[in-house]
Amino acid sequence: MSGWESYYKNQGDEEEEQEEGLEAGGDYSYSGRDSLIFLVDASRAMFESQDEDELTPFDMSIQCIRSVYTNKIISSNRDLLAVVFYGTKKDKNSVNFKNIYVLQELDNPGAKRVQELDKFKGQEGKKCFQDQIGHGSDYSLSEVLWVCANLFSDVQFKMSHKRIMLFTNEDDPHGDDSAKASRARTKAGDLRDTGIFLDLMHLKKRGGFDISLFYRDIIVAEDEDIGIHFEESSKLEDLLRKVRAKETRKRVLYRLKLKLNKDVALTVGIYNMVQKAYRPSPVRLYRETNEPVKTKTRTFNVNTGSLLLPSDTKRSQIYGHRQIVLEKEETEELKRFDEPGLILIGFKPLMMLKKHHYLRPSLFVYPEESLINGSSTLFSALLTKCLEKEVLAVCRYTPRQNTPPCFVALVPQEEELDDQKIQLAPPGFQLVFLPYADDKRKVPFTEKVMANPEQVDKMKAIVQKLRFKYRSDSFENPVLQQHFRNMEALALDLMEPEQTVDLTLPKTEVMDKRLGSLVDEFKELVYPPDYNPEGKVTKRKQNDESSGSKRPKVELSEEELKAHVSKGTLGKLTVPALKEACRMYGLKGGLKKQELLDVLTEHFQKA
Amino acid sequence: MLSITNSRRNKRPESAHAQSVDAQFPRPLQAPREAAFPATIQPLQLRIRRPRGLWGSMFKWGGGAAVVLCMDVGLAMSNSFPGEESPFELAKKVITMFVQRQVFAENKDEVALVLFGTDGTENALAGEDQYQNITVHRHLMRPDFDLLEDIESKIQPGSQQADFLDALIVCMDLIQKETLGKKFEKRHIEVFTDLSSPFSRDQLDIIIDNLKKSGMSLQFFLPFPIVKKGGTGDRGDGSLLLDDHGPSFPPKGITEQQKEGIQMVKKVMMSLEGEDGLEEIYSFSESLRQLCVFKKTERHSMPWSCQLTIGSNLSIKIVAYKSVSGRYTFFKEMLPGREMCLYKKLMPFSCSPGFRYGSDIIPFSKVDEEQMKYRSEGKCFSVLGFCRSSQVHMKYFMGNQVLKVFAAKDDEAAAVALSSLIHALDELDMVAVVRYAYDQRTNPQVGVAFPLIKDTYECLAYIQLPFMEDLRQYMFSSLKNNRKCTPTEAQLSAVDALIDSMSLVQKDEEEGTIEDLFPTSKIPNPQFQRLFQCLLHRALHPQEPLPPIQQHILSMLDPPTEVTAKGQVPVSKIKTLFPLTEVIKKKNQVTGQDLFQDNPEEGPTCKRLKTEEEEARFSVSSLAEGTVTCVGSVNPADNFRVLVRQKKASFEEASHQLINHIEQFLDTNETLYFMKSMDCIKAFREEAIQFSEEQRFNNFLKALQEKVEVKQLNHFWEIVIHGKVSIFLAPKENANTDTAAAFEEGGDVDDLVSTSNTYQVFSCLNLADL
Repeated sequence: MSGWESYYKNQGDEEEEQEEGLEAGGDYSYSGRDSLIFLVDASRAMFESQDEDELTPFDMSIQCIRSVYTNKIISSNRDLLAVVFYGTKKDKNSVNFKNIYVLQELDNPGAKRVQELDKFKGQEGKKCFQDQIGHGSDYSLSEVLWVCANLFSDVQFKMSHKRIMLFTNEDDPHGDDSAKASRARTKAGDLRDTGIFLDLMHLKKRGGFDISLFYRDIIVAEDEDIGIHFEESSKLEDLLRKVRAKETRKRVLYRLKLKLNKDVALTVGIYNMVQKAYRPSPVRLYRETNEPVKTKTRTFNVNTGSLLLPSDTKRSQIYGHRQIVLEKEETEELKRFDEPGLILIGFKPLMMLKKHHYLRPSLFVYPEESLINGSSTLFSALLTKCLEKEVLAVCRYTPRQNTPPCFVALVPQEEELDDQKIQLAPPGFQLVFLPYADDKRKVPFTEKVMANPEQVDKMKAIVQKLRFKYRSDSFENPVLQQHFRNMEALALDLMEPEQTVDLTLPKTEVMDKRLGSLVDEFKELVYPPDYNPEGKVTKRKQNDESSGSKRPKVELSEEELKAHVSKGTLGKLTVPALKEACRMYGLKGGLKKQELLDVLTEHFQKA
Repeated sequence: MLSITNSRRNKRPESAHAQSVDAQFPRPLQAPREAAFPATIQPLQLRIRRPRGLWGSMFKWGGGAAVVLCMDVGLAMSNSFPGEESPFELAKKVITMFVQRQVFAENKDEVALVLFGTDGTENALAGEDQYQNITVHRHLMRPDFDLLEDIESKIQPGSQQADFLDALIVCMDLIQKETLGKKFEKRHIEVFTDLSSPFSRDQLDIIIDNLKKSGMSLQFFLPFPIVKKGGTGDRGDGSLLLDDHGPSFPPKGITEQQKEGIQMVKKVMMSLEGEDGLEEIYSFSESLRQLCVFKKTERHSMPWSCQLTIGSNLSIKIVAYKSVSGRYTFFKEMLPGREMCLYKKLMPFSCSPGFRYGSDIIPFSKVDEEQMKYRSEGKCFSVLGFCRSSQVHMKYFMGNQVLKVFAAKDDEAAAVALSSLIHALDELDMVAVVRYAYDQRTNPQVGVAFPLIKDTYECLAYIQLPFMEDLRQYMFSSLKNNRKCTPTEAQLSAVDALIDSMSLVQKDEEEGTIEDLFPTSKIPNPQFQRLFQCLLHRALHPQEPLPPIQQHILSMLDPPTEVTAKGQVPVSKIKTLFPLTEVIKKKNQVTGQDLFQDNPEEGPTCKRLKTEEEEARFSVSSLAEGTVTCVGSVNPADNFRVLVRQKKASFEEASHQLINHIEQFLDTNETLYFMKSMDCIKAFREEAIQFSEEQRFNNFLKALQEKVEVKQLNHFWEIVIHGKVSIFLAPKENANTDTAAAFEEGGDVDDLVSTSNTYQVFSCLNLADL
């Protein structure tokens, strides 16, 4: 989070915890925007729930779409989304087809749109829908798809990916009209030809949803996703997972050759499956109108004040009292070692991979046929054998031309599916980064003091009591959530932001209850009677607070400050001292040292 | 630091000796130059210990080292055998490399350079006849490029000889005087000599005594390897670094004087350090090999103390350190030369921050933010629960660091408590899921803490885990059920053989140990090596272009040669068994159809078609699409042409499909689609001529006209008229013989109007009137 990174700069400490650095990774250049149309069946059957307390399929779809909207706002707000109902009474579309209602055209997700979707939630939503739009009796799927295609073609932006998600619980919409059915098939084929993907999010139907009746020919089986067919979803959770899996298009970071030796190579695609989500950086707004401001950075010559072109500048670094100057191209050249690619070094047993030698988030490797045909077969053979022999492949990895190489371990991963046939783990290799000698640091360790078996057993009992099943998606980022709730509240003029639940906080009450007397028993075994594990620390905490509340003692006289300013040694003072000085003169400085320095210097120069 | 010293030296108490050294070393006026020499030198066994921590891993808490480099430049140093570098050159190289490392290590070490055997004399102890031919070339200060340049150009071999023990005394004096008032962790002297000058031994005891008292450490670098008699105190790694000319020891042409010198050096080192002292004597070649790697800036981990909490009632005092982290920045400053500077022109005062919420931009001032932002509860390391270690897969690891968590220092109770947790987790094969916040200002994380038990220490290792927002759920098609890429048995066994042959480990069956032939975590980062090489080059030769990458850096990155060699055969087998063909990139504009075509293999054949195809009337890329099976809506006209020409569908079928599309296009009532329809109609007409299916076209046009009337698409019909499309006028027979003429004849609709013709089904005049 760049914003408060600079805001709260830890002082002078090399170890400062830049947890949220701005190296937001994402190396891919956007070639266009992803676009997604939610196509929702709004005929009467969608509003009938089988149980009293069960969600209606329509309600489920809407909630699901809303969740995608809010997620997109967080993760990729440039993407375009649209919502289209069909089987409606009223119609609203550019071609004036009957029974098709375009609720939202393709555009960025925003607060207003989310609000609009909220109107259709729950029982009231059902009513609202019936009042505003109503159910129609008839529709033609080919026309529906036609409207969708028009929505795509109306968009002014370049689109990299077009997808339609069809939510319905009717498995044979044109059962009695073969002409309509065949037209729908042709239209679906046309969509495929223009690169529009069509996914079926089929919902529960009494008697089961039979894909083979109609939709098998309609849905576009992406050549890459052959063999992945979902079961119908009866729960919101299932539907959400299905939609999540499809909503983002997988973007290949790099396409690289994996070279077994000089002349045998296959191509692979590198993907990232975890990517830190950051709070978006703030936009500068003009204070008067709240319009976004364009920022321009220019370089001037200090002496002549003339404008400098980027090519006029060089890079420099001071070492051993000497300024070393390099051209910008040379700084790039420094990093050039290999051609981009993965070069096989050899194989090692899986157990030699050290978990605690973690360096960077791992990437995912999957074969790519686009450059070398037959890559998949060799890849598949490698994967099979690596799994069987429990080995990993060590490779030298150069993702780009001007990137120095690093060593990586390709760890084989077998495909995993859950009972809904949703892929939990795709087949391929995990690309795990291996550290260089310089990346490891020597750490002064505390002398080893072993616990006795009795103590270990007691702790085992504690551990067993607090068992849970870890799922990677069970924790939300409280900071991000809070930020977006705030934004939402401001955008929608809510009185107060929706309360977030911080899932990262330990549930101490539950834990205490589960542990019961075990903790005291353990303490008795381990800690001496008068020992207080919190004692010292709390004492220090008080110290911290008192020293924090007390103003720094260093009060500088005006003369001293003036002397510092004239000598240019103001920078030697500490930030608290500078702040104090600013306070004395009623100056408003920033929080950064440089800002404080500037303010003070200016003040004294004026005086 | 050229840290060829044992770390235990650090522990030696530093005695503050401020006395002048020369007070303790009254130099006799004439030293006896000749001395008895032991009759025999044992054929010594070669045993040189690999110096520990040459990568600069010496761990220190603040304070640098004061190092005096003491180099012999005497007469004998420049003697060498033909084809070999002289000891002088070698010593210079070692010193250069050492200083290079020091320059880039950016630590607080200071370096002085003392030369002996110089023609002149320049040192604080020099008197009438004493301490002659010893020059303090550079006093104790931070090493820089000037020093490097000096070493490169100014240091020349002298023509004199000087006593190395005298030089040692000068060094000790220098260190004593110049470290006064400065804080140094250690004081260190490195002597580079070939020992061929005579020396006087009468001050030896005082020297040793003084070295011991002042806590200075000493290392010798000789042109030849020396060997310890008896070879006791074997540490197991002694045989690893046999010097190149090991077997031919003793080195050729060693003089009696040198032999005596060796004895003296040994004696000094033995009395300073005991047996281990001999391990502080190095040969030049050995040092060169070890020093060729630049040392990176040393980074220390700061302790972070906190409490590990389990529930509200159980807490353990801990301290954590960053143990692996790969973040560096270089060239932070972007200065365009000396006289220029960067300015950022912004108008921050008239701006206020805002944030995007989807398509909306929401003004959000710092004040708002302060009030509404997430509030963390300060530093914590709280266990949220425990789970099976297999549930937390490595692929979920996030962030850019590993923390090692130990019990707080000097707190045995905490150590026992943490130890029981570590062992409990280890025995149950479980891990802890933890909430971690560095302090109140940083964002909290969820991470995993797993046990790490080593011989010397045990700790928990902490790594961040992803939040829900960070995960990307991509799906990939299964490789198992895909017939296209299922390998055969033969292919599988070829891969099997490859894996076996290219194994990077060597198993010792007897001891049950595994040796890693390619320990990547011991390789220094080539980026720094390259950077330092270039910086150094640029600093010393500012006008020259950057040098190529040094060979030893490149070879460091290559797999062991024996592994590559063993892999040759299996790889070539793989080459024959797996068909791997490079895809030739098509240069045509990539259309949607290119991207999603079913059959990329058709590519090459289409290429051929391209050259053969003489008709330039329609885009060849449409042919290249290979498998057109029906008329699509994207490019119906071309599809239609392909279909009928390649006879993949009957003319009737194809035209039927085409007509369907034309009708669909008309339904949109948009000009864009009208143009497309026109293309279709034209294509239909042309192909109809080719295939003598004029009647079909005529029928179509007639039907079309009716439709147009019904749907009131007059403007479309106007386009048709202007597009000069008409029905065929000539009777069938004529058309066959002279289609071109027929086309010409019907070429102009306006002409047509004036021609009265029996075949005319409708009048274009009528059409125009419509």
